[in-house]
Amino acid sequence: MFNQLMQKGRRLAGIGSVVAALGLAAPVMAQDKDPIVFGGSIPLSGVFAFAGIHLHAGLTDYTNWLNDQGGINGHPVEYVMEDTAYEVDRSVAAFKKISGNENLATYYGDSTGFMKAIAAEVNEMNSVLMSGASFATALTNNEQYPYQFIPGPNYSQMFGIILEYIASQGEEGDMPTVAFVYSDTEFGKDPIENGKARAAELGIEVVEEIVTKPGSVDVSAEVLKMRRARPDYVVFHGYVLSPINEFMVQMRQMGLDTQFMGTFWSSDKLIIDKMGEDADGYMGVMPYNYYDSEEGGPMLDALRAQAEKSDPEAGYRPTGYMQGWFNAMVWTEVVKRTLDAGKELTGDNMAEALASIKDWDTGGIIGIPVTVKDMSFPVGRIWRVNASEGRYEPVSDWIHLD
Amino acid sequence: MRIGDAKQTYLADEAIWTSSTQKIWFALLLAVLLAFPFMASSYLLYLGCLVGIAVISTTGLNILTGYTGLISLGQAGFMGVGAYTVAWLSLNTGLPFPVTLLAAGLLAAAVGVLVGLPSLRVKGLYLAIATLAASVFLHFIFAEWEPVTGGMEGLSLEPAHLFGLEFRSDFAMYFIIVPLAVLALFGAKNLFRTRVGRAFIAIRDRDISAEILGIPLLKYKLMSFALSSFYAGIAGGLFAYFYRVVTPESFPLSMSIFYLAAVIVGGMGNLLGGVLGAAFMTLVPEALKLLTAVMTPIWPNAPVFMSPMLEIIFGALIVGFLIFEPHGLAEIWRRVRRFFHLWPFRS
Repeated sequence: MFNQLMQKGRRLAGIGSVVAALGLAAPVMAQDKDPIVFGGSIPLSGVFAFAGIHLHAGLTDYTNWLNDQGGINGHPVEYVMEDTAYEVDRSVAAFKKISGNENLATYYGDSTGFMKAIAAEVNEMNSVLMSGASFATALTNNEQYPYQFIPGPNYSQMFGIILEYIASQGEEGDMPTVAFVYSDTEFGKDPIENGKARAAELGIEVVEEIVTKPGSVDVSAEVLKMRRARPDYVVFHGYVLSPINEFMVQMRQMGLDTQFMGTFWSSDKLIIDKMGEDADGYMGVMPYNYYDSEEGGPMLDALRAQAEKSDPEAGYRPTGYMQGWFNAMVWTEVVKRTLDAGKELTGDNMAEALASIKDWDTGGIIGIPVTVKDMSFPVGRIWRVNASEGRYEPVSDWIHLD
Repeated sequence: MRIGDAKQTYLADEAIWTSSTQKIWFALLLAVLLAFPFMASSYLLYLGCLVGIAVISTTGLNILTGYTGLISLGQAGFMGVGAYTVAWLSLNTGLPFPVTLLAAGLLAAAVGVLVGLPSLRVKGLYLAIATLAASVFLHFIFAEWEPVTGGMEGLSLEPAHLFGLEFRSDFAMYFIIVPLAVLALFGAKNLFRTRVGRAFIAIRDRDISAEILGIPLLKYKLMSFALSSFYAGIAGGLFAYFYRVVTPESFPLSMSIFYLAAVIVGGMGNLLGGVLGAAFMTLVPEALKLLTAVMTPIWPNAPVFMSPMLEIIFGALIVGFLIFEPHGLAEIWRRVRRFFHLWPFRS
């Protein structure tokens, strides 16, 4: 309670009163105002490091770009992070350390486990807005997680977008069939029940459901089940690469003409890099334009320029980079809206500002104006691998779930 | 140089406190533990609570592995049983924390007895695999018994409470966790002054000889499993109150390995070793981050390059201890003490 009052007091004195007293139009140098602090528990080591280094790069590059533009209403922005090795206790330790040292406004969490573990404290603090690597459906429960949002569609919504696309490929009475393959983890099981319900609503029959361990496993028995079920589409969830490649190769060897699809974390270029020509035709749902897509827009161009500036030799930037950048973009928009309304940066005020985002133009990061619904951005597009070009290409319009 | 503590009776030999110097140092330690939450930052307080929970669980595993010689990879599973017991009781009955924690310990002990049954027939790596299987089985129950465990989403619970007081913050939880850790250590210390504890040690040293001496192996092995799991259950219950959320993924196999490593790094069959091992395993990765913090101002990209390096350094430290000090941190501590005891003479 005491800490909360101290924080509120500091924040009121540091930001709210400055903005209110001087007026937003006053030409104040960025460094004259208190910094806005973005924090992060980032997995730079451990099993999620492959994505963590790109998330970190996206967050870092956005912050540098934003400060070059003058910060947020003249406030410079600081990005303070710690490595977590993708372990919940170390993510919580990082949060405690950073929140104890800094006047945090927003925070990036590296896992669903961390987001859940820190929720009670964040709810009591009422001073930080959080988002992160997790697209877990549970986090869109506003009562339990009022200060956490999803920087895109949640996993159930991703399934919704995929199923909308599949339904659009059939016609009433002659809908394609689908099989779900998911990992035996919280991540893997997240959207399955909602996915089955949505498939039933759309008249799509789920002809097979297979649960596997994540990673490289022998899937020959499961592939035989697929041969019997003969689904038109297989939707993978809860994996990064394996066993998606094993399923695709073996099912194609059996002569099945099934189409393969995946959700966010299994729709990066890694699949093309590892599978080569075998990846051709694989489809993924992605809420952001790919770095190497033909799409454009002021913010997407700025992202590419900043990425080039920070590391000219890096070349393609993975989806984690786009996700990190977009997270920080949303934080900026939320902080800006809160300050513009002359309010303190409390959890409640920032959650209210987030909920007010309607038809927001993201400058090409997402191809259509987006609206926040239940603390998420329920929008995405289906992209298909063109292996000869070595990239994903759009095969659907942007799909915004209502 | 310390003089005059020659022991002349068996009672004196068995005493917990063998000198007044020990009592003074222990009193000082208690004073520091008491003052710590009033001075520490929220970050240090959090780490203090984590170490406290780790000390309880490591002590439990030390009873089983270090003192009885039964290797176990089921510690995380037993902690899970404790955590789910606390979460379920707290959600469905609203009982105060002493009752829920006791129930967590007892249920985990009962599960420990079941898991320990194969220990009469198998030991060493075979027992490790049997306990690993139990751990996988428990994980399956946590994930699938949805009406009780909440399935993959798990359970969120209210803060620990007693007589209308809520233990919501880390500051408040510290005053549950640390006294329980001290109590757990005292319990274990006293255990090895009794027939039961000595029977455990006899089984570890040579189980056939122990049986010839009149120690029923099944009874004592199961008792060791029960006690170890009781400790794990309490630690798991505290974990549940500490994070206020329990999911099947809160207790991965790597957690069992963490506690086994803590026992080995600290010093098997040594209670102080368990404490030092738990502190080492919890705090060293955090301490190593200071290297990154020092380098970041001059090298902004230091976190990206240093973070994986720190994991390697941490692993190398563990390997280094195993090679250069196989008796663990407790032996280093003993050498340091001996140096001061014998000072100014050479040890």
